[in-house]
Amino acid sequence: MVEGKKKSRTFRRVYVKTPGGKTVLHYRRRKPAKAQCGNCGALLKGVPQARVYKMRNMPKTMKRPERPYGGVLCTRCMRAKIIQKARISS
Amino acid sequence: MIDIGRLCVKIAGRDAGKKCVIVDILDDNFVLIDGETRRRKCNIFHIEAFDQVLAIKKGASHDEVADALKKIGVEARKTKAKAKTVKPITLRRSKLATKAPAAAIPKKEEKPKAAPAKKPAVKTEAKPKKAITKKLAEKKEA
Repeated sequence: MVEGKKKSRTFRRVYVKTPGGKTVLHYRRRKPAKAQCGNCGALLKGVPQARVYKMRNMPKTMKRPERPYGGVLCTRCMRAKIIQKARISS
Repeated sequence: MIDIGRLCVKIAGRDAGKKCVIVDILDDNFVLIDGETRRRKCNIFHIEAFDQVLAIKKGASHDEVADALKKIGVEARKTKAKAKTVKPITLRRSKLATKAPAAAIPKKEEKPKAAPAKKPAVKTEAKPKKAITKKLAEKKEA
């Protein structure tokens, strides 16, 4: 019988065909939610949706875009912030 | 707003937030910029122009732009030309013999070849012939 904790919907059910020809059920963890913009909540591009153990092994450049506020703000919010900063400084 | 010498700030790309100066107008959509950013072609929609206009000529060099920006207290991008370094090529011993010229192969000191030691002459005595016995003689006759 299946463990009680695996009956939760936080696990996804995957049917796997074994080399012997049997089809068995495997329980696997789901991926975390996609990254969102800190200002407007838009989905961020260039940020992978992977579990912690995979993210840890990735190089820094693979986890976020190479620009200011990359991985934090969306492009629209980033542009607005930079223009605001530049106007204040001048 | 798009004039030569106009001070701008980049709002897109990895140079976003850095100040630059319009050096040349290439097109309706593109300009040549230089300053804190890399000297390159840029879309007009990716820069935000300020009120300030610097006194530079069309197609000014990076040094001229850097001097003009220094007066307003902005440091231009510095790029040092890397000195060419020749990496030492290391070949494997197995490849050295086939590919590398003879000069590259370290010559082993040749030892003087000693004359092969002569073996003492061994006198081989002729094998004694078998004595013909009666049985052999009978076989021969048969």
